[in-house]
Amino acid sequence: MSGEEEENAAELKIGDEFLKAKCLMNCEVALILDHKYEQLQQMSDDAANQVSQVFEKSLQYVKRFSRYKNPDSVRQVREVLSRYQLAEFELCVLGNLCPETPDEAIAMVPSMKTKGRIDDDEQIEKMLQDLSLIKKFE
Amino acid sequence: MFFHIVLERKIQLHPRYFGPHLRDKLVAKLMKEVEGTCSGRHGFVVAITGVEDIGKGLIREGTGFVTFPVKYQCVVFRPFKGEILEAVVTMVNKMGFFAEAGPVQIFVSNHLIPDDMEYQAGDMPNYTTSDGSVKIQKDCEVRLKIMGTRVDATEIFCIGTIKDDFLGVISDPSAAS
Repeated sequence: MSGEEEENAAELKIGDEFLKAKCLMNCEVALILDHKYEQLQQMSDDAANQVSQVFEKSLQYVKRFSRYKNPDSVRQVREVLSRYQLAEFELCVLGNLCPETPDEAIAMVPSMKTKGRIDDDEQIEKMLQDLSLIKKFE
Repeated sequence: MFFHIVLERKIQLHPRYFGPHLRDKLVAKLMKEVEGTCSGRHGFVVAITGVEDIGKGLIREGTGFVTFPVKYQCVVFRPFKGEILEAVVTMVNKMGFFAEAGPVQIFVSNHLIPDDMEYQAGDMPNYTTSDGSVKIQKDCEVRLKIMGTRVDATEIFCIGTIKDDFLGVISDPSAAS
């Protein structure tokens, strides 16, 4: 069990390895796994039997919980969120949960407000509005 | 949370494969050995997306097998304590309910379900508020916070809560349009 320094995603304590790693939103994972599944289908008729249960469950999960379906919107979401000083992990939590108000956003990603990165609710409000615009025009 | 990371593994290959398709055989063996597995450090390896580098093979003394160090990119799912995510309820009983988020199972004890929700037994056991407006039952979607994780040989198991603000049933059916 990990935990010399107590792990806590709410404070962005997720270990150096994952802080620096590329984080993926559910909608991005859906695109990757779909692509891989298609590749497998082209190579053999029996793709369903070749993938692990972990793959199947993950694919079902990300398809069910993707807020954005088409690749262009997915790219736009990442672009919009990247304009703010967010860590990869925080960016993906916001992209996955799509909070509707600044209060909700801060509850989902409490670490956002630390170190003076996002000081006021107006910034958050603008971010959420930009996100919902992408959804509207999807 | 899903991550795209680079991992390394030593893959052993029998001499019968030392031919023109060596690399393909190596990648196939890597996939078979790694996809679907789980470790405490990296979580579940969901899918390998590419091979970055295959180092020089080393012949093992006595057996003739060759070990290749392979660097590969993969998608992993690693839940963190304190992380908030969405999950599907799979089972409800009077101790609480089980939910699944991808390959990970999460248990939410009745102590971490809001006090105004009560367990109702029956064909479709559920937790419901006194006015019946919110119901948690099998196959419904909930947003929960992970309170702790436990790793055993083949999987990661989590404990969660829905007692905080903005957690609980995702009541907007058109959300994932």
